[in-house]
Amino acid sequence: MSKIYEIPILSRGRVIMPSEGDSVEYGGRTGARFRCPNPHKHVHDLVLGDAGKLQDLHDMPMSKVLDFLAALGPRLKLSENPYLQDSFEMAIEAGGLTKPLMTQLYERLPSMFDRKSLEARVEKAIGIKYLDSWVPQGETEPAASIRVRAVGCRQFHITAGNVPITAPGTVISGSLTKSDCLIKTPSNDPLTANAVVRTMIDMDPSHPVTKHFAVAYWKGGDAFMDSEIIRTSRIDKITAWGGMASMQHIQKYLVPGLDLVAMNPKFSLSIVGKEAFESDATMREAGAGLANAAGKFNQTACSSTRIVYVESDTDEDSIQRLIQLGEYVYESLQNLPEYFSTPADKPNPELEAEMRAIESEDDFYWVKGDTVKGAVVVSKFDGKVDFAGELTNRVVNLIPLTDLASMLGEINDRSQTIGVYPASLRVRLRDQLAIRGAQRMLLLSSQIRDAVEEGAVAALPHDGNETLRRQVRWMIDQGPEA
Amino acid sequence: MPISLLPESPGGWPERHHDDLFAMPRKEREAVQLAALKLRFERCRNRIPALKTLADKQGVERIERVEDVLPICFDHRVLKNYPLTILENRDFAKLTTWLNKLTMHDLTKVDLSGLTTVDSWIARLESYGMIIGTSSGTTGKLSFVARSLDDLPGWRATWMQQSTAGTGINPRSTKLPTFTPAYRTGNQMAIKNGSMFENEMCGGPQHRHTLYDMHMSSDLMVLSGKMQAAEEKGELDKLNIDPELIAQRRQLIEQGRRRAHDVEVWFDKLVRDFRGQQVRIGGLFSDLYRAAQAGTDKGIKCEFAPGTVVVSGGGMKGFKGAPDNWREIIIDFFGVDRICQSYGFSENMGNAPMCSAGYYHFFPYTIVMLMGPNGEALPREGVQKGRMTVHDLLAESVWGGVVSGDEVTVHFEDDCACGWKGPRVENSIRRYSEMEGGDDKITCSGSAKAYDEFMDYVAGQ
Repeated sequence: MSKIYEIPILSRGRVIMPSEGDSVEYGGRTGARFRCPNPHKHVHDLVLGDAGKLQDLHDMPMSKVLDFLAALGPRLKLSENPYLQDSFEMAIEAGGLTKPLMTQLYERLPSMFDRKSLEARVEKAIGIKYLDSWVPQGETEPAASIRVRAVGCRQFHITAGNVPITAPGTVISGSLTKSDCLIKTPSNDPLTANAVVRTMIDMDPSHPVTKHFAVAYWKGGDAFMDSEIIRTSRIDKITAWGGMASMQHIQKYLVPGLDLVAMNPKFSLSIVGKEAFESDATMREAGAGLANAAGKFNQTACSSTRIVYVESDTDEDSIQRLIQLGEYVYESLQNLPEYFSTPADKPNPELEAEMRAIESEDDFYWVKGDTVKGAVVVSKFDGKVDFAGELTNRVVNLIPLTDLASMLGEINDRSQTIGVYPASLRVRLRDQLAIRGAQRMLLLSSQIRDAVEEGAVAALPHDGNETLRRQVRWMIDQGPEA
Repeated sequence: MPISLLPESPGGWPERHHDDLFAMPRKEREAVQLAALKLRFERCRNRIPALKTLADKQGVERIERVEDVLPICFDHRVLKNYPLTILENRDFAKLTTWLNKLTMHDLTKVDLSGLTTVDSWIARLESYGMIIGTSSGTTGKLSFVARSLDDLPGWRATWMQQSTAGTGINPRSTKLPTFTPAYRTGNQMAIKNGSMFENEMCGGPQHRHTLYDMHMSSDLMVLSGKMQAAEEKGELDKLNIDPELIAQRRQLIEQGRRRAHDVEVWFDKLVRDFRGQQVRIGGLFSDLYRAAQAGTDKGIKCEFAPGTVVVSGGGMKGFKGAPDNWREIIIDFFGVDRICQSYGFSENMGNAPMCSAGYYHFFPYTIVMLMGPNGEALPREGVQKGRMTVHDLLAESVWGGVVSGDEVTVHFEDDCACGWKGPRVENSIRRYSEMEGGDDKITCSGSAKAYDEFMDYVAGQ
């Protein structure tokens, strides 16, 4: 029998532990088991019924908020923070990432709270003066009499758990928008948000930032919780990650006045131009870039490349070159550093079966690898594998296209990150990709690992959304200054 | 008295009485199964190309124990491991080359000229001596089970045998008017079985009554996804599809919308027209429940003759809000003792009837194995849960080894309360494909499926 974790509800500076007569147990079948206070009894601890209570955070200058976050960062060292150690252990058990990767992600937590980059981010996205004051919209009338302010509000976050940085990311965006945040944690990462906010409580339970966080787990689809929480009297904006499962539940409570920021699931891909075949060196370069784009976070992220369109004919010679590119991708996958990408802990039986089933069809496919080591599937015709939607565990599909433009029809709102090689192709395709819905382009090269790392911060806006701007309310104060 | 089965001719086994087959002691049964399996392997090893590829790769040269065949059973996906595009583009040369790897027949001799539809391709293959059944994926990708007339005798015999064992009515002597709320003809395996054996089961096509008297087009199943996508873009006319097919699609969508109503009306009529007669009623649980509830609400009572049977399965998917006692409602309304059920899949001929104790028993001509999570053979002892894997000894021209998509619990000991021997499957079958993602885990990385579900939500469906 595995360990049962005790997960408290965090309510605006208070820690409510599960207790005799006030506990519910969750999990067990695939993830970790944990016990929480009965959320049904704590609705009022979770929501901020009186929006007027946001005054304290509203009055606090952004510099003070940033000071607080900057002080929080160093306390989020995995080696020193027992809450994080628990959440780390649990994320390993419940989530889909291997230990070396999880370690690397957790070790990055302090740097996510770097004051300079947070300040730059909020300045760029919203403008600190808009958060701290009423900003006249011009120097002359009538604009001078129109003042605008970015006002924090009551946010409800239904977060994703496939990568644990979603949790601190949510804490950061809540703080930077001077908002009251209720975070509903996912079963695949039930504790990271909890650990971050609990560390805040240890620092200063009465700090206005601390006082505007509530964190709890309850089972998605709990109609009681949804109906109690998702009301315009209690929540202003919802940020919901995930697909049907999480959206379906909140759907019927969405009414005018409730703003939904939907972080729906994404499917990322890469495009490789014929220049990749110019020399062995260019092939290796493109191959290494693809391995990085697919291997990042072990292909669990929304930005992970799963399919690759390659400018290539489908005659025998061309296919042989494509297979050589596939060999380089595979080789690079095997050589990615452990902190960045690792073999999977266990095979994915469904995907493995799909791969084994097409392996014998060498008229149509070339397959190398498996769902533990990672794999490359080369299509010998101009189409992706029919299970492209299920690609994970570092399995990529290379597809030859005589005319790269023929893949543009595939681009839509789910196309989050598109890796491109070489740079000239990026410029050639950029506008078409953009108007069809793609959200981010990234040059593929053997050097992109560090760029990808920084990209986690630099690649905002996320999902083509100016989320920070959307998470505040923009209010107008009109008339001469009194 | 014991019976004698020859390992050389499993196709004759289903001609034995089911009570005799189910009375075989385990040792005897497993010995003849293994002997037959060895012969099947020798016969097929180098004559079915896809099997040869797999056996070469796995290094399987001989079968000593039943478990030895597990690594060379075809995953059910092998029967659809062609690229969907060649089917969508109706590239019949490539499709035939692909299918040729799954049969002992030489399909290179089939004349492919003038073919325009998947249905016409299947018909052409059938005029050559094949019998092709498809299963339907919701994505439009069809599995092709490439049997032939050589498989037909055993296939027909087991079809009648499972009916006799499962319902107590022997179709060899009692032909019953039969009701199926489905299409009259089609290549999808369930529909195909119904029409193929209508003489044996019902006494002729005039005694088999279907909800819609039309053909279920394979081409529509194949093109549904593509047509939907084209329609979204307003480019349906650019697909270069036979207008007849587009009209059929419209009809199908229309039928889908009013199906619930049609089922009610259709059952209503049969209840009146066949009062006092012995009949066989088939259909999904959801259809039967719908009809039974509607009839009960109207105060109708079926008065069929004794010996009437209801044959059903399929769960109550897509039917929300049915009361817990929906089974009783069906039984009461149709005036039968029980609902007869059987378990099987398109790739295997010998369906397993449900016994009086509620288990599905496989006949000796289906060798039952279980695969564990890492592809290993689970012990064929006691009670085990794993992936259902069979070797269909009735398969003459195709390879009978198939790994299904079902998670099942099998009791291997001969200790069923019903008295029948042989491995039996609990009535708790689950599709592996339906088990994923049900755990409240939220992720930003999208499979296409998750996205499509999301889009359904956006569209308000």
